[in-house]
Amino acid sequence: MTSRTVFFNVIRFFFLIFFQVLILNHINLSGYINPYFYIYFILLLPFDTPKWLLLVAAFILGWSIDIFTNSIGLNAAACVLMAFARPFVISAISSGPESLFGETPSLRNQGVKWFLYYSIILILIHHFAFFYLEIFRFSEFLATFVRVMLSSAFTLLLVLISEYLLYPQGK
Amino acid sequence: MRNLFLFFREHYFYFLFLFLETFSLILLFNYNEFQGSSLYAVSNAVSGSVNSMFNGISEYFSLQKTNRVLIEEMAKLHSRIPEAYYITDVNILEKKDSIVKLEYKYISAKVISNSTNKRNNFLMINKGSLHGVENHMGVIIGNKIVGQVVSVSSHFSWIMSMLNKDSRISGKFKKNNQLVNVEWNGGNYRKGQVKEIPKHVVMVKGDTIITSGNSDIFPEGLMIGTISGFNNPQDENFNYGEILFSTDFNSLGYIEVVVDMMRKEKEDLKASFKPQ
Repeated sequence: MTSRTVFFNVIRFFFLIFFQVLILNHINLSGYINPYFYIYFILLLPFDTPKWLLLVAAFILGWSIDIFTNSIGLNAAACVLMAFARPFVISAISSGPESLFGETPSLRNQGVKWFLYYSIILILIHHFAFFYLEIFRFSEFLATFVRVMLSSAFTLLLVLISEYLLYPQGK
Repeated sequence: MRNLFLFFREHYFYFLFLFLETFSLILLFNYNEFQGSSLYAVSNAVSGSVNSMFNGISEYFSLQKTNRVLIEEMAKLHSRIPEAYYITDVNILEKKDSIVKLEYKYISAKVISNSTNKRNNFLMINKGSLHGVENHMGVIIGNKIVGQVVSVSSHFSWIMSMLNKDSRISGKFKKNNQLVNVEWNGGNYRKGQVKEIPKHVVMVKGDTIITSGNSDIFPEGLMIGTISGFNNPQDENFNYGEILFSTDFNSLGYIEVVVDMMRKEKEDLKASFKPQ
């Protein structure tokens, strides 16, 4: 990790928290869709991030969001679970070291298929943990399931849009 | 011993994960016990200052509406000042009024953060313990309910909105005083559920549900909403209804915190009773 990478990740950390807290948390689409785009930070951490830093960064990220939504522990738990799953997901979907080309996971370096698998699995893990911990009841199982699916789709859409905006495919 | 250390070093990722995850979950599920703690006061102060900064910007977008509400409110107040009354009687009696005693007073506050899109929604207002806000006080807008105070720092307070899985408001039918409970099951923020309606109560669409005053949080007679649908299951002891909230939770600007001046007396009375 170069100091440049660290710098960009810190900037991204603060930007995503403020984007989530000040804009996305105020979005209300039919009462079912709450995008949690801030987890894009965990998706984009470099491949060679030490494993302990992965967990600690995810914890601090979730905790910061929790402070603003008065849900101490909720986002932190979901984020830590997602960060824990990340190395396993990466090794499960990568065919060899050549697919881990580049510094950070991205649509351009790893290809559409790899990146879709990667982000869909991790977003689903986070959103499942988040929504079911939030309600913590099985009586609303189906309604919560619908929320998980719709919100995950929306988060994925935001992730893909920013992938195409920030890292254009053009040669 | 050395092997133990090696074992920990080799699997530190799992242990760190278990530690952080357990820590988060403990905080999450002991939520209520932590509310009064200094941890909450600090996080309240941080999020409060950021929220009020952002609110300072977003406020400009609703100036027109705020003006209208203020003008209406001013007209209402103007009609109450003594000059607005025509004195019909020349004999003015002066007496010390010992029959009427102030039971509720109201603290007006501005909403600086609000949500309606989560399963559990909260509001933050810009008044706190310095202004006399305490836990468990009710929050209203006009004569409509909003929620109750769950956490207070010196300048800000967190309000648990009616739109929360832990909100459960004691209400009654305005037409016949039958007690019911009102809850919110998520989804549409305009519609809630009325539970535990006795079988013999005949409902029609448009029946008004008001607060019962049983809960020590809200005074009696505040609007909760109107019945917009119902079902009468044959195999259960109670009927259920759907309620259209009178409050538009998505457009709360200025709200009022209800201070029950006789609350301590009521609580003491309850505590002093010991069943034989």
